Amino acid sequence: MNKKSEGLIPTGLVYLADNITSKHNILGAPKGEGAKWAKGLNLPQEAETIFFAGCGYQYISGLESLMSLVRGLDKSVVGTNLPMSIASYQKKLGVDLAGMYRKMFAKGGESDAQPLRDAVSVLSHLGVKFGYLADDEPCCGGLLYYTGFEKEFVENAGEMYKKLKSFGVKRIISIVPVCTYTLHDLFPDCIEGYDLEVRHWSQVVLENIKSGELRFPEGVKVTYHDPCQLARYLGVIEEPRQILRAIKGIELVEPEWTKGEWATCCGGGGGFEVVFPELSQMLAVNRVKELLETGAQIIVTQCPGCIIQLKDGLKQLKADGVKVLDLAQIVAMAMGV
Amino acid sequence: MSVFTDYKKEIMDAAHNERIRIALSRAIKNYRAHTNNALRKFPHTIKMAEEVRQIKEKAIGEMEELAQQACEAIEENKGKAYIAKTADDALGIIGELVGTGKLIVKGKSMTGEEIELREHLEELGNEVYETDLGEFIIQQLKERPMHILSPSVHVPKEDVARLFSKITGEELPPDIETLAATARKLLRDKFFQADFGISGANVVTADTGTLFLIENEGNVRLATGAPPVHIALVGMEKLVPTLNDAYKVAEVTWRYANYTVPQYVSLVSGPSKTGDIERVITYGVHGPREFHVIFMDAGRTDLAKHPILRQALYCLRCGGCLYECPVFAVTAGHFGDKYFAGIGAVWAAMISQNIEKAASMAYTCLTCGRCKIRCPVKIDIPEMVIELRRLIAEGEINPQ
Repeated sequence: MNKKSEGLIPTGLVYLADNITSKHNILGAPKGEGAKWAKGLNLPQEAETIFFAGCGYQYISGLESLMSLVRGLDKSVVGTNLPMSIASYQKKLGVDLAGMYRKMFAKGGESDAQPLRDAVSVLSHLGVKFGYLADDEPCCGGLLYYTGFEKEFVENAGEMYKKLKSFGVKRIISIVPVCTYTLHDLFPDCIEGYDLEVRHWSQVVLENIKSGELRFPEGVKVTYHDPCQLARYLGVIEEPRQILRAIKGIELVEPEWTKGEWATCCGGGGGFEVVFPELSQMLAVNRVKELLETGAQIIVTQCPGCIIQLKDGLKQLKADGVKVLDLAQIVAMAMGV
Repeated sequence: MSVFTDYKKEIMDAAHNERIRIALSRAIKNYRAHTNNALRKFPHTIKMAEEVRQIKEKAIGEMEELAQQACEAIEENKGKAYIAKTADDALGIIGELVGTGKLIVKGKSMTGEEIELREHLEELGNEVYETDLGEFIIQQLKERPMHILSPSVHVPKEDVARLFSKITGEELPPDIETLAATARKLLRDKFFQADFGISGANVVTADTGTLFLIENEGNVRLATGAPPVHIALVGMEKLVPTLNDAYKVAEVTWRYANYTVPQYVSLVSGPSKTGDIERVITYGVHGPREFHVIFMDAGRTDLAKHPILRQALYCLRCGGCLYECPVFAVTAGHFGDKYFAGIGAVWAAMISQNIEKAASMAYTCLTCGRCKIRCPVKIDIPEMVIELRRLIAEGEINPQ
């Protein structure tokens, strides 16, 4: 970070960016923390095709706790900036802030990574062969790019590419929209000779499912929330809908206007949520209202950021009967895996 | 950090303001319905918008030549044309033309807002009336515009009724027809008493020096037609080479501003003239005797050199992006400087050079990209905002 930009970049973003450059994950968690979800799944580490899990889902419970904390502070007299500055300072002293959040908001850890476990089960069930880098999966650094730290982003991208190459990776199945876009569109622009084939999980799934084998345990109305990066940046709009339509028992109901490329952002884009925690929550509520008007019982989406936002929006609206699930969870249920 | 802290407080106050939310949710719903209808009725607009993108891309690279050419054309039409390098130069030229103690009627102009033209003329001791209804409301409320096309988009009718009741001393109901009639009554005489009429322009042709003025109320026709002198302030990004280009730009602009067709489009190329008595050309009949056009640079030619941020100059000011912005929907123009939302951050940084405000705005953008889907000329606002953040983070632009 350049000295001249001091005070111009919101503290919350500097904090997250620093987590990536110093700890190689967005939450600043210690090494090995993120890969816990895959224990016992026996996914090979060396493979030409890998499943890329990304920070979002691997650290979702920590991120949710962080958000809950900063939202509380943002509405209080203290404001968000001060605690965020303290957070950066504490990190310099070596305090494990991520661990502190988790202890403060202790929850069952395993269910948090359910979308990831389901995503890999679905791929396995479809006969797709892939590995997972586990502790060695590097952070794509997307947030660095969105915050404006291009130098750091390019540096991180180069290192990451080298690492992926050293594991013999040729193809990536990615699930988090921001990682997918970063690997698919941003890396080729800053890495010479970049030759990895990157596809989104839903594209791979759609290609491999056979009609007639998907049945949801009960008849249910679901709506689909398009993550901004997946729909507008990557153009993945039809794939998730085709998958949902292929599942017997599911009725897809959508907002009249705000769907596909016109979908409204959940309010959690690019670190906005740590800069304007309360405003971000208001936007989540607005988006949830649009989705609830469809009468859906389940909101399906494909982004950990959107999931945190939409869950919070539902909570604020006290819409207890409605659930937010990743598409992977829906497909896993429909496959019975 | 204090600029950001103040700014954040301002937008959070707006976000908690129920009136803003009500007014905007009505406006967004109407905008989408009207625009959908307009595009369905005139489906060729979408293809034409692609053509307009090409026209603008080219014209922005040639602004200086086009301005020169337009000046020559206007002088040939017996108007006066000026090129103002800076905002101060523009204020200086207009200030000198107007002087002091005059009555001025103004049409809405974002370029005027950009350089605070009204305030400047008032400081010189002139009486200035905004004649666009929305802008008139804003002027009377002593607020600043909250949208580029609908400056009072955040003010519900009940508040307008209260305001107009105060001005007229009569108890007025929150009935929109009554309120519009009241504005007409309040401003009617001003048009004919005014010494100067001031306008902006939506698009200007270099070959004929013609200003295109798009409006619905009729205030621009009166303000630029009734007073003896018409002064127009034009940002240089409004220039296109030919009349044919300008028709296309104008049609695409109003269609994405949610109109099938606007009630009035005025084409003005010079002062009023006649040759009816002995074929001797004489200037100043029913319309203005004098016509002055100021083409203002104020950072535009520099901005045009930036490969990514130059897209900000392609903007037609239709205002469509703002209706698609989830943040704008709860904060209105408080997420703004002179111009609003994501694209407004670029203007704040590169034109107004208010870097602290620009940074605050750049980090308020979600980069969700729905604005780009709406934009007729497909300005990549997220790309520009991320580039602006990079310039800030890497210290390439910073407050002096």
